This record gives sequence, C-alpha cells and structure tokens, in this order.
Amino acid sequence: MSLTDLSRWQFAFTVMFHMTFPAITVGLSIFLSIIYAAYWRTKKPVYLQMFRFWRRIFAVGFALGVVAGAVITFQMGLNWGVFGAKTGPIIGPIIGMEVVTAFFVEAGFIGILLYGDGRVRHVTMFASTVMVSIGTILSTTWIMAANSWMQTPTGYTMQNGQFVPTDWAKTIFNPAFIWRYPHMLLAVLIAAAFFVAGLAAYYLVKKRALGFAKRSLSIALGVAAILLPLQIFVGDSTAVNVTVPYQLSKLEAWEGNWTSTSNGYTVFEIPDQAAGKNLVQITIPWLGSAIGAKDLSGNAKTPGLLLTPAADRPNMAATFWGFRAMFYGSILMFIATFASIILRLRRRLYTARWFHKFLLWTTPMGIVSILGGWTVSEAGRQPWLVFGKLTTAQGVSHLAPGELVFSVIGFMALYLALLVAYIVYVVRQVKAGPERDDPAFDPGTPPEFTPLPGDITNPMEGALAR
Amino acid sequence: MMQTIWFLVILLCITMYVVLDGYDLGIGIGSLFERNRASRVEAVELVATGWDGNESWLVLLAVALWGGFPLAFGAILPDLFLPLIVTLFALVLRGASVEFISQSRNPSGMWLWIFGGSSLVAAFAQGFALGNLTSPLHLVNGAYAGSAFGSFSWYSVLLGITVALGYTALGYGYIKMKTEGGLRLRAAARGSIVGLVAIVFGILSLIGINATAAPLDLSTPGRAIAFWALLVFALGGAVMAAITFGRKRTTRNADILPFGGLVLMTVAVIVAFTVARYPVIVPGLTWQAAQGPRNTMVFLLVGIGLNVPLILFYTWFAHRTFKGKRVHPHTGPAHLETAIVGSSK
Ligand code: HDD
Ligand code: HEM
Ligand code: HEM
Repeated sequence: MSLTDLSRWQFAFTVMFHMTFPAITVGLSIFLSIIYAAYWRTKKPVYLQMFRFWRRIFAVGFALGVVAGAVITFQMGLNWGVFGAKTGPIIGPIIGMEVVTAFFVEAGFIGILLYGDGRVRHVTMFASTVMVSIGTILSTTWIMAANSWMQTPTGYTMQNGQFVPTDWAKTIFNPAFIWRYPHMLLAVLIAAAFFVAGLAAYYLVKKRALGFAKRSLSIALGVAAILLPLQIFVGDSTAVNVTVPYQLSKLEAWEGNWTSTSNGYTVFEIPDQAAGKNLVQITIPWLGSAIGAKDLSGNAKTPGLLLTPAADRPNMAATFWGFRAMFYGSILMFIATFASIILRLRRRLYTARWFHKFLLWTTPMGIVSILGGWTVSEAGRQPWLVFGKLTTAQGVSHLAPGELVFSVIGFMALYLALLVAYIVYVVRQVKAGPERDDPAFDPGTPPEFTPLPGDITNPMEGALAR
Repeated sequence: MMQTIWFLVILLCITMYVVLDGYDLGIGIGSLFERNRASRVEAVELVATGWDGNESWLVLLAVALWGGFPLAFGAILPDLFLPLIVTLFALVLRGASVEFISQSRNPSGMWLWIFGGSSLVAAFAQGFALGNLTSPLHLVNGAYAGSAFGSFSWYSVLLGITVALGYTALGYGYIKMKTEGGLRLRAAARGSIVGLVAIVFGILSLIGINATAAPLDLSTPGRAIAFWALLVFALGGAVMAAITFGRKRTTRNADILPFGGLVLMTVAVIVAFTVARYPVIVPGLTWQAAQGPRNTMVFLLVGIGLNVPLILFYTWFAHRTFKGKRVHPHTGPAHLETAIVGSSK
C-alpha cells in the first residue's frame, strides 16, 4: 500500500465518521425548532417532553460532529498539503465562509439550546434553537459548494500551478452544486426522519410513552412521505444533469458494466479492476434501459468503464456498491413510507405492530444511504481530486511512513471507540426512555450530584458512586 | 495592504484561541488535581457551554491561513504533522468527554480522567507545535519534503511546557472568577503558584528563542520599542494577577483581576512575539511568499472579514448568557433533598 493510499484511507475513514453525525443532527436541530415552537404556542407538556428527549440524543451527536469536523479541516493541510496549497485560494475562502456563517452561529447558540432551559426566556430558547438549525443548513450549503467545485470546477484560471478564482459566482454555483446541494439537504432531513421514526417505533413496540411516541412517529413519517419522492427525482436529475455531461466515468463505474453492450440493470457483481471484467454478475435484462435512459423499448445501452482510459478509471467495486447501498436504502425507505401512508389513511398507523418492527430496521437506513452516496461521489471522482485537473496522487503530502501509520491507526482506534460509545449512549437513553422528560412526571430537576460550597470530601459521593 | 489586514485577522484568531481555549483547556488540566468527582464534574460544566465556540477559533485560524496564505498552510501543516495529530486526537476525546459527562446524570470516572488528560496533552502538543516553527522548513518546489522527527528540538519541549503552564494559570483564573466555595479557594492557592512558574518559563522561552534558527529581530528602533513596550504591558498584567490571585475574600477585584491580568499578559506576549518575528512564519518561509491571489483576498476581506465583528458578538453573547458566578440549578437545601431522593431509589 502506497503512502497516498494510506492518506486516502485515513481521509475516507475520518470524513465518513464525521458525516454520520451531521446526517442526523442537521435534521434533528430543525425537528427541535419545530417541537419547541409547538410547545411555546400550545404549552402542551408532551412537546416539552419531546424537546428534552430528542435534545439529549442530539447533544452528543452534535459534539462528535464538531470535533470530527475540526479534524477534517486540518487534514486538508496535513495529509493533502499540495492540494491545500494549490486549491487554497478557492476552497479556503468557501470553508472560511462556513466557519464564520455557520460554525460560530452554532457554537454561540448551542450552549443556550442545551443548557438554557429554565435560565432564559421561551423566546430566547426558541430563537437559539432556530439559530442552531440555520447554522447547520448554512454549513451544508458551503461544504456542498466546496465539494461540488472539486467535482465540476468552474470560474478559475491556473497561475503557477495554483487554482486562482476569476468569478466567484461561477465558482460557488458550479454545475454540480445546483443539483447536489438540494440532494444533500433532502438526504439529511430524510435520514433524521427515519432515525426519529425508528426510535419512536421502539416505544410503540414496547407499549411505553405512547403519547410521546405517536407524535414523534407521525411527524417523522409525514416528513419522509413528502421528501422521499422528491429525493428520488432530485437524485435522478443529479445523475442526468451532472454526472452524464461532466463525469461519465463515474456513471460507468456505478452502473457496473465494462463493455457498453448491456441494456440490463446489475443488482450484484464482483468486478476485477485489473482485468476489466466482472468475476460474478447478476443482471436483470431491460431494466437498465428503463431506469437509466428512460427508454422503455429496452434499446438503450449503458456506457461501460472501458470507454475511459485505464489510468483514469475509478474503482468500480467501491463506486458500484456505494451506489447500491444508496439505492437499496432508498427502496427500503420508500416501502416504509408508502406503507405509512396507507396505514395512516386506514387509521392503523399506531397499531400495526409488524410495521413498527419493520421501522426498527430502517432506523439507520438514511445514514447508510448517505455514506453510500458519498462513496459514489468521492470514489467515483477518482483518480482526480479536482476533476480533470489535479490527481489525488499529485495532491498528497510527502509524509514519513511512520507518522502516517501512527495517525491512521490512531484515528481508527479512537473513532471506533467513540462510535461504540455513542451507540451505547443512544441505546441507554432510549431504554431509560422519555418518561423522565415528562414535565408532569418530574417537576423538579433530575437527581444529580453537585458540590457543596467549600467541600473537599463530598457527602454525596457515597450515594452516587453506586 | 490586503495581506497585512488579513495577517491581523489571523493574529486575532490566534489570540482569541489562546485566551478562550486556553482557559478551557486549563480548567481541564486543573481538574486532574481535584480529588473528588463532584468538583471535577463542576469543572466540566464550567466549560460545557463554551468549548465549542472556543475551539471554533482554531478552525477559523486554520481556514484563514488556508485561504489567505495557501502555501504556508500546505507546507507547515505536514511539517507539524505529529504534534498536530496528537492535538487533534486530544481535542476529539476532550469534546466527546465534555458532552458525555454533562449529558449524563452520573458520569463515569473514565470520562472525567479523559477530560483532564486530553486537556493536558492538547496544551502541551500545541506548545510543542509552536516551538517547531523555529526550525527550518524543508521545501522542494514549494511543497513540504521533510521527515517525521527532523524538526523537533529542545525548544519545542520548552514551549510545550510553557503553554501548558500558561493555560493552567488561565484556567485557575477563570475558575476563581466563575465559582464559589472550595473550588474557588483551591484555584486561588494553586493559581498563584502555577502563574508564577508559568512566568518563569515564559521568560526562559523568550530568552531561549535566540538560540534557535529563528531569533527575534529587534534590528529597527520601531520593532525594539514596540517589543519592549508590549513586554511592559505583559509585566503589568502579571503583577495585577500576582497581587490579586491569592486573595480569599470575594470581591470584584479579587475575582476578575487574576483572570484579567493573565489575559492582558498573554495577549501582550503574543503580540510582542509577532512583532519581533514578522514577516518570518518559519525559517525559510515568509508571509509575503505564502500569500494568496488578489481575488481571494478580496473575497476573504469582504465575506469573512465583515463577519468577524458578528462572531465576536456571538462569543460575547454566549458568555453573557451564562455570566456571573455559575449558579447550579439546584444547589442549596433543595438540592440536598433531591440528592437524598435520588440515592434512595
Ligand atoms: C437519504 C439519503 C439518500 C437517498 C434516499 C438517495 N441519495 Fe443519492 N446521494 C446521497 C444521499 C441519498 C448523498 C449522500 O447525500 C449524496 C452524496 C453526495 C451528494 O451530493 O449527495 C448522494 C449522491 C448521489 C449521486 C452522485 C452525485 C455526484 O456526482 O456526486 C447520484 C447520481 C445520486 N445520489 C442519485 C440518487 C438516486 C438516483 C436516488 C434514488 C433512488 C438517490 N440518490 C437517493
Ligand atoms: C469540502 C468538501 C470535501 C473535500 C475538500 C474533500 C476532499 C477529499 C480528498 C482530498 C480526498 C482524498 C482522495 C481520495 O481519498 O481518493 C477525498 C476522498 C474522499 N472523500 Fe472527500 N472531500 C469533501 C467532502 C467529503 C464528504 C462530505 C464526504 C463524506 C462524508 C467525503 C468522502 C470522501 C471519501 C469516502 C473519500 C475516499 C474516496 C476513495 O475511495 O478514494 N468527502 N475527499
Ligand atoms: C469534508 C467535508 C467537511 C468538512 C471539512 C467539515 C468541517 C466541519 C468542521 C470543522 C466542523 C466543526 C464546527 C465547529 O467547530 O463548530 C463541522 C461540523 C459540522 N459539519 Fe462538517 N464538514 C464536512 C462535511 C460536512 C457535510 C457534508 C455536512 C452536512 C451535510 C456537514 C455538516 C456539519 C454540521 C451540521 C456541523 C455541526 C456539528 C454537527 O451538526 O454535527 N459537514 N464540520
């Protein structure tokens, strides 16, 4: 494995870890704003209960997103120093805008959102929650502008090997951004909706906290029912309007064909990159023509990866399976959404136990689709960092092998441990349940230990150590 | 001209980061020396509302460098790879531990140790990285081409210790300002000592830098005057903190001046160092050589520069919302009751 490969693995791993958290926190922050508004207007305790419970799930995810995000910014220089120096004039300012318009807004108001309950007025609480969600949306906007520019670079010239901006409007509103940005925004909302729906379904299965669970489930599935069909349209438009004209090699890789002779849709395959053929392949005839080219006669053939020169081919296995993860995830979520609409119309949404059990399985599906989708975008962009202009191998820092191995192993160990800790935390919170967040159940504050003024040995230590 | 303004923005980021995350990390380091869990949890809760914002200055520092001085970003970060990676490991663990602790009713001792330990590691590693900027950079065609340990020196270690001590003193100053009772008294006693040791190490670092490849440049009268004038300010801050730190009685001065004095000292020292080293970033690379193209600078100054007052406002707003002594929502007799109810479950 080359040093470039090590940096790639490290980057892929760390960025995927980061992505997992915004995938839920962007949507959850908007969800929290809506719930708090509902509580503020109606004063119904169930909304306060929902706010407090979901906020606890949100809080730790947000923190992990923040720290993992800070790592990525530095990696652009640490691991991709040459890329950093060459693209800095363009990507630096865009991410800089993200920092000042999003991160500082989030950071300024997150403290109030998390700890302001009871200390500040309702209106401050609501405004802070809204500010945090605006921050997360702006964050998505800028990051998509930066990454989309790497997919379809526009609005620059080259000077001394550096990308120099000439037209900022073209740089930011580049062709890929126009479609990928709405696709990403819908994706995080859908992922959060399924996350909420899955956990709420758990309480319906267990017959606990029913008021809380029904309302959470209803909102989440309502959101999914509106957004998911939209998402499938936007996703398809991304392929048609961005990938086909600008990055055909990416589409060739995700469709999984080497030759351009198939009209079928491949559902399973194991490609052999070096030999330029598939070792195993299951293809449904006609379907590829129908889905890809919208040609129901079955005459349209899907372009194959052999059209791209061998040196410029992305890895087919990663791109293909990334796309399938997103696609199969979409189908599963679509089935769930469709069933929810039927059940709602027949007034069985809260009683169909098989459905609630099914929803438990789709809890992480949005996140899986998002990670899959990013694998398509980034692995499919290879061997380029800036498509057609700068290759990944050219952009890497010349690090010593030892330090790179140290950092790769360090990040893997650290992040896997944190992922486990987060999952354990969520499971514990869910098992402990939203009952204690019900204002009627516990009018005071949760028992918690606090120091007494002047204490060295705390009288409560014994009680709490248990 | 534009480069100079942008350089000042970067200086602002460094200063804000060192002061804000300095007290933040310092509180973490101080928590290692607290014997009981309750005081350590209180230390965590003291930073829980602000650590995210404090750390954002570091992220802004990175991207301000990336956009404004891309060659420096691309060459220096790989050069500082190991200390920066260790810093990142520590900051990740720290952020996670703060939230795991403050979201749980009965936080585990493990996370409390991680909180303290990672604060110490982050502080030392940052100073260490800063110290590395005194060793020459190995560049080939403008890209970093060094080796892992090539640029580490005794000066990195010295600066690592100095920064860790300085942060700890800031942390104690902040604790004294924001808490009451035992924690405050211990902060007063320990803060005075740590502060004095930090000043000694600071002086050593100031002298020591002339033995490295990047000595201070006081060749023109302007530089020399500015440098010494700033050190006078630093001295003033140090004296202010030294006199008030140990005072036990709660008065406005006894609570605010220790932290205020340390902040004054820190800012003055940072600016003094900058004055005496400008325009060298690291031996072999100057700010002028690393600057980005004109179009980028315009965007940075308009887009980001105009936002800086706004983010200073957010920073102020977040601190103001939780101003004054940190009142725990349930201290006092009522709290004892809940504790008993809690323990009888
Ligand atoms: C809930 C998540 C989700 C769902 C249901 C879908 N996607 Fe997606 N997709 C993403 C989440 C996502 C993503 C993770 O957000 C990506 C990665 C980068 C991006 O812009 O969006 C993405 C990327 C992405 C790309 C690559 C864009 C590029 O060149 O970078 C294509 C072509 C599609 N998607 C197509 C689809 C189609 C045809 C879908 C419907 C079946 C679909 N997506 C559903
Ligand atoms: C501003 C935004 C982004 C920039 C500048 C960026 C940059 C990069 C760079 C430098 C690489 C290394 C090349 C390589 O590994 O092949 C890379 C690869 C990768 N990135 Fe991104 N990225 C961005 C956004 C994202 C996001 C948001 C994700 C997903 C969560 C992501 C996922 C990946 C993955 C999975 C790879 C590895 C691809 C492979 O297998 O080769 N990227 N990206
Ligand atoms: C490679 C690409 C990315 C980089 C460099 C990056 C960078 C960062 C950084 C530095 C932070 C910490 C903010 C702070 O200090 O307060 C952060 C947090 C965040 N990022 Fe990313 N990010 C990337 C990808 C994404 C994507 C694709 C999204 C959204 C779709 C996203 C959404 C967020 C959000 C919402 C936060 C706030 C914390 C959270 O909600 O988890 N990021 N990111």
